[in-house]
Amino acid sequence: MSSKDGGDVVLFPGLAPWSDTPEDEHNDGEHLISAVEALLFAADEPVGSGTLATALEHPDPIAVERAIHELAGRCASQSRGVEVVRLAGGWRMRTGPAHADAVRLLKGGTPLRLSKAALETLAVVAYRQPVTRAEIDGVRGVGSGGVLKGLIERGLVRIAGRRDEPGQPLQYATTRTFLETFSLTGLGDLPTLAEREELDAE
Amino acid sequence: MTASWTIQTEVFDGPLDLLLYLVKRDGVDIRTVPMAKIADAYLEFLDQMKELNLSVASDYLVMAATLTHLKSLELLPRLPTLIAEEDQEDPRETLAKQLLEYERFKRAATELDQHILQGRDVFVRNPEPVASADRPVYSPIDAFGLLDLFYDLLAKQNEEPEDQHVIPDSGTDVITCCREVLLQLGGIGGQMDLRDIMALLTRADHRVVTFIGVLEMARLQWVTVHQTEHLGRVSVIALVAPDADLSQVSGEVAQEAAG
Repeated sequence: MSSKDGGDVVLFPGLAPWSDTPEDEHNDGEHLISAVEALLFAADEPVGSGTLATALEHPDPIAVERAIHELAGRCASQSRGVEVVRLAGGWRMRTGPAHADAVRLLKGGTPLRLSKAALETLAVVAYRQPVTRAEIDGVRGVGSGGVLKGLIERGLVRIAGRRDEPGQPLQYATTRTFLETFSLTGLGDLPTLAEREELDAE
Repeated sequence: MTASWTIQTEVFDGPLDLLLYLVKRDGVDIRTVPMAKIADAYLEFLDQMKELNLSVASDYLVMAATLTHLKSLELLPRLPTLIAEEDQEDPRETLAKQLLEYERFKRAATELDQHILQGRDVFVRNPEPVASADRPVYSPIDAFGLLDLFYDLLAKQNEEPEDQHVIPDSGTDVITCCREVLLQLGGIGGQMDLRDIMALLTRADHRVVTFIGVLEMARLQWVTVHQTEHLGRVSVIALVAPDADLSQVSGEVAQEAAG
């Protein structure tokens, strides 16, 4: 007897389904928004509405997505200290830029600072990925090995396999942390090189 | 020293950066850079660096050579035949393209720096100190996350004292191997190539134990080992039956191991 013959397979037995017929729809919506807020506060990395719906055992990711939008809108309009933004393929709760100085003091330590060389190298990797070290050196006219190593240690750049060419050099690409750090939803957020060339032509 | 010099406070990220700075300073178009002028400015700058006892990196010297070469091309009239033969791109054109591309990425870098940076302009809660392995399975993890996990595991392993080296149990012993060899030889007078005996064994540790067993049996004169020529084949000849009492082997080996 295979399990196929046993009728519907219950994937999550024992989990109470989200109430589909709330007595008070408004309260239910508010509850969902506050639940989403709690999850985004507790999350260690950007999370998508699908992940939040799973954690909430909510059947409808679209309703969750709507709740996130509502929350993000409130944070923006009610001049709250935190903001909810979409980046790196998910949603993230973080402090508002207006409070940067105070938060930095509170947190202590040195704020993120990237050297000119690091930013240049990062730009080449972001636009040319996957890119080899020789290609980066070629664009910058100077050896970039040390800078590249630093970027990898910070988790902004990763090794993305080897190029299928003589010597099989390592290739480098940007990470999800890069997107998150630079407030990008995806690589598509960067102006394209063509757009750049147009700007340069002006 | 009374030499008057201007100390450049700018720090340059390589020869292209310096060249770009000089081009901008002198207000010339990158595409139609007068090579003689810019090469002189570049070399003058390198001289200043030397006077300041700054070590000039080799990258800068390579560019100096290139610029000097381009300057010579510009100054010397070229033979018409040479020009006609020249299918290649004008080297000045190549340099101009390189400079333009570098400038583009330099601008892209500046622009990246103007983004709202997490850890500088905005902050998130510090992650809870949860062991990586305890993360819920549905959390998205990419290849890099797996690599982190791997390193964490390696780090954990390193916590054990380093002078411990565990030798895995080979699952066999000298007696068993000796018995196996005698069985293969098939009784008194049975003969077999040592290499063939070894070929029957797939595991390296079993071959080691068997080899020791053969040596041990040769010492006890239970087998003789023959070799007719230097580096030639080694044959093993049994002097006892397969069912011989082998306890002596273990006794001797055990005693040696204890002593």
